[in-house]
Amino acid sequence: MPDSASKSAPSPPPARTISRSWLGEWFTLRKEGPLWESVALGAGCVLLLFAAWWLLTRGEPAEKRLIGPLTLPSPRETLDPRNDLWPPPGADLTQWKPDHKRFWSERKDLAINTLVTLRRVGLGFLLAIAIGVPLGIVAGCYPRFNSFLMPVVIFGRNIPLAAVLPLLLFLFQYGEQRKIMFIFVACVAFVIADTAQAIRDVATRYVDTAYTLGANGWQTVIKVLVPLAMPAVFSSFRVLFGLAFGYIMLAESMKESDDLGGLGFQINTFQRRGPREFIYLIILIIPLVALAVDQVLFWVQRQLFPHVYGGPGWLNKLVRLSLHGWDDLKRVFFQIGPAEPAAKSTKEGGTEGRSEGETKQDLTPSLPPSVPPSK
Amino acid sequence: MGEVLDHVRQPQEIARPAVVSFRDVTKTYNAGTAAAFTAIEGVTFVVEDLPDKGEFVAILGSSGCGKSTILRLIAGLEPQHPATSGEVLVLGQPVRGPGADRGMVFQDYTSFDHRTVLENVTFGLECQGVPRKERFELGRQWIEKMGLNVASDQDKFPHELSGGMRQRVAIARTLILHPRIILMDEPFGALDPNTRCNMQNLLVKLWKEVQATVFFITHSIEEAVFLGDRVYLMGNSPGTILEELKIEPPDRPAQEMLAVPRFLETVHYIRDKITQLEVKAPMTKHQ
Repeated sequence: MPDSASKSAPSPPPARTISRSWLGEWFTLRKEGPLWESVALGAGCVLLLFAAWWLLTRGEPAEKRLIGPLTLPSPRETLDPRNDLWPPPGADLTQWKPDHKRFWSERKDLAINTLVTLRRVGLGFLLAIAIGVPLGIVAGCYPRFNSFLMPVVIFGRNIPLAAVLPLLLFLFQYGEQRKIMFIFVACVAFVIADTAQAIRDVATRYVDTAYTLGANGWQTVIKVLVPLAMPAVFSSFRVLFGLAFGYIMLAESMKESDDLGGLGFQINTFQRRGPREFIYLIILIIPLVALAVDQVLFWVQRQLFPHVYGGPGWLNKLVRLSLHGWDDLKRVFFQIGPAEPAAKSTKEGGTEGRSEGETKQDLTPSLPPSVPPSK
Repeated sequence: MGEVLDHVRQPQEIARPAVVSFRDVTKTYNAGTAAAFTAIEGVTFVVEDLPDKGEFVAILGSSGCGKSTILRLIAGLEPQHPATSGEVLVLGQPVRGPGADRGMVFQDYTSFDHRTVLENVTFGLECQGVPRKERFELGRQWIEKMGLNVASDQDKFPHELSGGMRQRVAIARTLILHPRIILMDEPFGALDPNTRCNMQNLLVKLWKEVQATVFFITHSIEEAVFLGDRVYLMGNSPGTILEELKIEPPDRPAQEMLAVPRFLETVHYIRDKITQLEVKAPMTKHQ
């Protein structure tokens, strides 16, 4: 700094731009930094939290700690509560031996339980999508169906899920099924409402355009309304999946005989039987899993809707390719005759002529050769 | 270069079933309530079916005078359709709803965002069940006709196109169906003047080819006089057709027409007329 100041004699402007470039950049409205900066800032926040955790729980005799080990274990205790891999501080190293087997079997248990939980959320959520999206599309397209479904949707969105929990106990005998249904019940009303709203949000001018291009009601729904609403629907899936992940903890806290476990069940067990440090470990695992799932969903979303998010859109290409294939095969399987003219009045026979005259130079087989308007 | 007719022609003056005829058409929204609003009242006009040739009808008028209402009534689009009273006939038949025989191009970009240019252009054919190879081949020919580059543009999504290119796509997907009537609701309203001129030239060229009757709404008097065979001047609140003008077809591109004295004469005549109407308008409102 002093160097540059001495080189160029009147140098307040560069100094100002330097200070501006730092503070000014940060406080420029809606100004995004480069990618590495965004990642570094996020990582910095996590590191800061861990540092605070470490500081608050350090100290050799436990009494010296700012927060006692019963309230909040230290990071090391959380990662390895039974001292399987790392010796406890101040331990007699001649006596202590690592126990890899126990450490890894416990971690394997955690991983399996995570997968069990994910499977339940995934299945319940897929079921909610499979039933909620078609209903939402119908409700969004036809206001009368919306009026009909409205009471159920409002009920489903506002009923406290904990209140429904005992009800599911009577309805479904088998525990696994009960948990999946719980996620389904938790999500389906939201899926219906969000899908219907996304369909309603598609501007009317697209529907008008489709009609004036000869689409019938069903074609307008399938070819225009649904595809245009899908990006918004998918965004709501991502939000709802987070919600479902929260609800599963509630469902899993029920004691079940089949005992496949799950993260919620594990939290309950560790709370009663210990080691309690594992509860913190699970709390660390949940956001990581949620982040991973969200990133996967986001990737799928980007690849499905390149017209919204840009990029190559590989899944979109795949969908498009299979639709084209279906379009071609349909003709072979169902023996569809030549196109039916949608235009009623002046064009009888016109479309037929077109499918024969096809690609050749003559584009307007149904119409007389162009005569310049003579006036 | 324009000829002012002494009156707006009435349906009974025409022998053959007209392409479009309005008989005393009125559209009132929220009829019978405090919010009742009459968009058009007692609109009567007729556009002849000239053999082998469509007419280009430009509709001129200030904002909110019911131009779009007339267009959407022809298209059969809700909520303008159906009319509160009167008859809207297309080729002698009352309009029952929208259809591909009456193509429409809107001012707002209505390209289907999830479809590529080629899929947008061939949308109507897809709905008719034309096999994919055929409709794509036809679509590529139309993309080329619209002055777009087939190789580089056919797989683009609408958001990658400029406003002018989007309207080209919108026009192509309407014309590919060879509609008997083309309804254009200020299609070039959002384009810059130069693009607008180019689009006008292109439209005149293509229209001669497809031989459809075009209804064209615009705010621009020059555009109406350049494109129109016939110009309807509309008055305000509630909307009525005040005057019908017959215009000679343009013999040169839009940019050069602006230097032709007779062209300018017509433009000035209409401009004066509209100014008079705007002075009168507030009085009719308070009657």
